[in-house]
Amino acid sequence: MNNEAIPVSVLTGFLGSGKTTMLRHLLRQPEFSRTAVIINEFGEVGLDHELLEASEDSFIELQTGCLCCKIRTDLAQTLAELLRRRDEGRCAPFDRIVIETSGLADPAPILQTLMTDTTIAGRIVLGSVVTTVDAVTGAATLEREGISQKQVAVADRIVLTKLDLAGPAKPALLRRLEAFNAGAPVLVADHGRVDSLLVFSSGFYDLQTKSADVNAWLADEAHGHSHTRHDADIKAYAIVRQEPIRAVALTLFLEALAEHCGADMLRLKGIVNILESPNRPAVIHGVQHVFHAPAWLDRWPSDDRRSRIVFITRRIPQRWVEVLLEAIGEEVADVPVIMDLPAARLIRAAPP
Amino acid sequence: MSEVGELVHELLVQSLAAWRVAGSVARASDGALEIGGNRKDIRIERAPPHLMFRWMVTIDGRTRGAISLVAVLRQVREAIDPGYAANRLRIAVAPLVPSQ
Repeated sequence: MNNEAIPVSVLTGFLGSGKTTMLRHLLRQPEFSRTAVIINEFGEVGLDHELLEASEDSFIELQTGCLCCKIRTDLAQTLAELLRRRDEGRCAPFDRIVIETSGLADPAPILQTLMTDTTIAGRIVLGSVVTTVDAVTGAATLEREGISQKQVAVADRIVLTKLDLAGPAKPALLRRLEAFNAGAPVLVADHGRVDSLLVFSSGFYDLQTKSADVNAWLADEAHGHSHTRHDADIKAYAIVRQEPIRAVALTLFLEALAEHCGADMLRLKGIVNILESPNRPAVIHGVQHVFHAPAWLDRWPSDDRRSRIVFITRRIPQRWVEVLLEAIGEEVADVPVIMDLPAARLIRAAPP
Repeated sequence: MSEVGELVHELLVQSLAAWRVAGSVARASDGALEIGGNRKDIRIERAPPHLMFRWMVTIDGRTRGAISLVAVLRQVREAIDPGYAANRLRIAVAPLVPSQ
């Protein structure tokens, strides 16, 4: 093994399972200060980079599509470019790379690329694979989504998230995780906080320790087999609004989405310019039946102050979502604006 | 009674499509919207100004008030979509805007 090879860790997990939240926490830890980050989002408007506090020059976002589907070559080229920048001193020094995949990414081709691509061979080595699993929806997602099963099966570490919503880890979920990957320790993240020394500490990827299914997937990829990567009904789209959105309109909008979309709302995330809070944008997250209360950023992360909400849905038409927001905005246009609502209410959908 | 706006008209049309239920939305001569589907007759109109509701929803002759479009959609879908089971909701007290 080349001593100078830089470990590339893969952070994966199904949509909304808490990857970015955990990465955000990790990047604040001193031991992660020399980390370059590559993020792949499935959608036309990237947001995760706005939510991470990584240095600009050691951060790359791949936005041309899902990492596993279209841009396998792009990944290798991106890594090669990142290494070139490092060699030439054109970016902050780093000795670790973390790739955050999109929630719909099939991990197999990504791992295959990291292990085999000749353009980066010798310079990088596959580090650990960490998979986040939502304790609220994880069991149902594992039941329904083959991609989620793959993500769990290839993990060196499984990190359970959202136990604050789900309560103690349910035996049924733990049994499912064990069935797909008995060898991976299961860690717990508390609002993204996880033991940073444990989470990426498993060393280099070893195919021998993975289940037979994982070997089969990776072998398939090596032979260039074609697979239907994603459910054809899954669509990603974004709503962008120049004008601020009233808080009450956002609440009603989320309420309607929770009521009518349910499990078909695979993921919603957004940064929203709230009329009543012009300097502190709201970050909203929703996964299937669970919509979180908004988190308030201290300031806008960039000069772009538009509201941007990304949806990853199954069979939910974009136009319906757009008209819903417009109609609700029009409906509440005559409501007086109150700039200080100390304890207003936000609708949250209960887990199924 | 004022006419129901075009945006609401489109929202209802789009909602039927999103819910994947058969039905139609038409405008009545008095400006209300009439929805047909699942052998139900539904009429949406603006509530009179003296009532606390924004909307009045009449389903097979029974009229109920609705305080928001979200409530209108709920009533319409419950009537027109036999397979609909609204997601259970719980209310969390949380700041709607950040404390200063």
